[in-house]
Amino acid sequence: MNKKIISLLSILFLLSVLVASGCGGNDQPSGPASDPGPASEGEEAPESTVVKIGMVGPLSGGAATYGQSVRNGVEIAVNEANENNEIEGVVLELFAEDSEGDWSKAANAFSKLAEQDKVNVIVGGVLSSESEAGGPIIMSAQIPTISPSSTATGLTLGNPYLFRNCLSDEVQASQLAEYAVTELGLSKFAILYTNNDYGVALKNAFEETAGSLAEVLAVEAFMDNDENFKPQLTSIQQLNPEAIFIAGYYTEAAKIAQQAKEQGLDVQLLGADGFYSPVLIEIGADAVEGAIFTAGFHSGDESPAVQNFVNNYRELFNEEPDMFAAQAYDAARIVIEAIKSKGTAPEQIREGIAETENFPGITGNTSIDEEGDTIKDVLILKVENGAFDRIR
Amino acid sequence: MISAYYLQIIILVGINIIMASSLNLITGFTGQLSIGHAAFVSVGAYASALATLKLGFPFFASLLCGGLVAAFFGILIGIPTLKLKGDYLAIATLGFGEIVRIVFLNLEITGGAVGLRGIPKDTTLTWVIISVIVTLFVLYRIIRSRVGRALIAIREDETAAESMGINTTYYKILAFGVGAFFAGLGGGLFSHYFRYIQPNSFGFLKSIEYLCMVVLGGLGNIWGSVIGAAALTAIPELLRASADYRQLFYGAILVIMMRIRPEGIMGEGIFRKGNSAGDYLLSKIKIKFNK
Repeated sequence: MNKKIISLLSILFLLSVLVASGCGGNDQPSGPASDPGPASEGEEAPESTVVKIGMVGPLSGGAATYGQSVRNGVEIAVNEANENNEIEGVVLELFAEDSEGDWSKAANAFSKLAEQDKVNVIVGGVLSSESEAGGPIIMSAQIPTISPSSTATGLTLGNPYLFRNCLSDEVQASQLAEYAVTELGLSKFAILYTNNDYGVALKNAFEETAGSLAEVLAVEAFMDNDENFKPQLTSIQQLNPEAIFIAGYYTEAAKIAQQAKEQGLDVQLLGADGFYSPVLIEIGADAVEGAIFTAGFHSGDESPAVQNFVNNYRELFNEEPDMFAAQAYDAARIVIEAIKSKGTAPEQIREGIAETENFPGITGNTSIDEEGDTIKDVLILKVENGAFDRIR
Repeated sequence: MISAYYLQIIILVGINIIMASSLNLITGFTGQLSIGHAAFVSVGAYASALATLKLGFPFFASLLCGGLVAAFFGILIGIPTLKLKGDYLAIATLGFGEIVRIVFLNLEITGGAVGLRGIPKDTTLTWVIISVIVTLFVLYRIIRSRVGRALIAIREDETAAESMGINTTYYKILAFGVGAFFAGLGGGLFSHYFRYIQPNSFGFLKSIEYLCMVVLGGLGNIWGSVIGAAALTAIPELLRASADYRQLFYGAILVIMMRIRPEGIMGEGIFRKGNSAGDYLLSKIKIKFNK
C-alpha cells in the first residue's frame, strides 16, 4: 500500500516536472535571443525573417565552463545584433545544444540542429573532438559551421563548410618558441606536456621550432588531473634548462610552477592559451609570477570594443569573460557580418564567412584563409604583480 | 524519407542494443559484474577502423576483425580475473578499461590523443539492423541452450554449479569472450558511423552507461537490454527540449525507475526476495552507483 503511494507520488512528481519543463523548454532554445522585444517594439510590422544560429558545446559535464562561456559569448553577439536592428529585417534566434563533452553526443546535437531545427549556421563545437565528429555531418547537411575554440591540427582541411576562429596549437607554440629565442634570449628548453590532443600538438610544434632555433633538452609527459610533478621536474632539473614550456591547462600549470619553486628550479615558465584563467594566479600565487604565455584574448585590453564586451558580459553573467567567450563572440560577429554582406541562406553565409578579411574583432584582426583556418595575431601575455599584462 | 537526425538516433539505439545485450550476457546471465565493457567496444572500434584504414579490408571483414580482436581481449581479461568475484572483479575490469584507454592514448598507430579521423562511413541502417538481429539471435540461442543454463547456474551459485559438474572456468571465459566479441562488433559499427574515434570517449563513464542500460532494462533478460538501450539512448535526445534541466531529468528518471522497479523494466525473478545471488549483485551495483 505504502509502496504504491510512493510510486504514484513519484510518477506524479516526474510528470509535473516534465510538463513544467516542457513549457519552459519550448522557449528555452530561442532563449533571450528570440525575446520578441526589439522585433515587436519596432514601429514597423514585425515581418522580419528569422535566422537560426545553432550552438554546440559542453553545457554540462567536466568541460561545462568552456561550453557555457561560448554560449554566453554568442548570446551577447546575438542580443546586440537584435537590439540594434543591425541586419535589416532579420531577427536572430539562438539554439544552444548540449554535448556533455562527449563527441558522439555532439554529433547528435549537430545532426539535430541541421535536420530538425534547420538552423542557418552553427557556432561550435567547442572541444576539438566535437568539431571532428560534427564535421562530416554539417558537410553533408551543407550548414556552415564556425568553431570558436577547436584548435586541433588540420581540423578544417577538406571541409568547405567548417571554419574556426581560433589559432591552431601549432601557430601558438611555434610563435612562442620564436619569441622566447629571439626576444627573451633563451636557448635551453624543457617541455612538459599533458598527454591529450591539445598538449601533444603544442609539444610537437614547440619542439620543432625551438629545436631548430635553439636546444630542447627534455620532453616529459603528464596527465590531466595529476597532482605530483616532482619526478618529471627532478629529471628536468638535472639538465639545467633556462625555461620550461608547459603545454597544458592552468590548474596543472599552477601546480607545476609551485612544485618547481619548492624544488628550487628557477626557470622562465612558458605556456599557451591553456594558461589564460584567473585560476592560474589563484593557485600558482607568486610561483607563476613572470610566466609568459600566448593567448587569443586579453580582457585588460583598453580598446572600447573589448571593454564594451567585458562590461556587457559582467553585467549579464556576473563573471569575467574568458578566451572562449571572446572567441565565441567574435565567431558570432563574423557570422553576422557574413549575413549582412551576403544574405541569410546557409550557402550565402558560408561564402560570407570564407571571404572574411581583416575583421576587427575583440580577439584581434581576423581573416579566414582558403582552408577555413584563422589568420590573426598571437597575443603574448605575462603574469606581473598577480595580473595578466600584454607584452606583445 | 526519414530525417538524418532520427536516422542517427535509430542507428545509435541499434549499436547500443548490441553493447547492452552483450554486457547482459556477462553481467546479467553469468553474474560477473563488469564495468570495463567500453574497453571491449574501443578495442573493436580501433581494430576495425585500423583494418579498414591500414589494411584496406572490406567493411564486413573489418567488423569481424573488430569483434575477434575484442573477443581475444575478453578471453585475456577473463583468465586472470576468474578467481575474482563481485567487487574485486568489478575493480579488475575497471582497471582493464583504464589500461586500454591509456594504451590507445599512447600508441602511435591509433593516432594517440588525437584519435583516428577519416574512417569511411560504411555503417548504414541495414548493417546495423542485420548486426542487431544476428547479435540477439546468437545470444538468445546461447541462453536457451545447455550453455545458457550453465551460465545461469554460475550466477545463482557458483559452488553449487561446480559441484554439479559445470566447468565454471570454461563457461565464464566463454561469457567474456562472446560478450566482448559483440561489443567489438558494435564498436566497429560505431567507428564506421561517426568516422572518428578518440581514446577518451570510451572511458569508465561509457561502461557505466552500458551497465545502466542493462540494469534499467532488467538483468538477465535480453529484451530488457533492448528496451534499456533504446530508452537510455532516446531519452537524453527527447529531453533536449528542456535545455539546461536535461541532465537533472535524466537523473531523476533513472532514480525513479530504480525506485519503482528495482529489478528493471523486464527483469524477472533474479531479484525476488530471498535470492541471495540477486540481492548480492544488486546491492553491489547500488553501491557502485551511489559512489
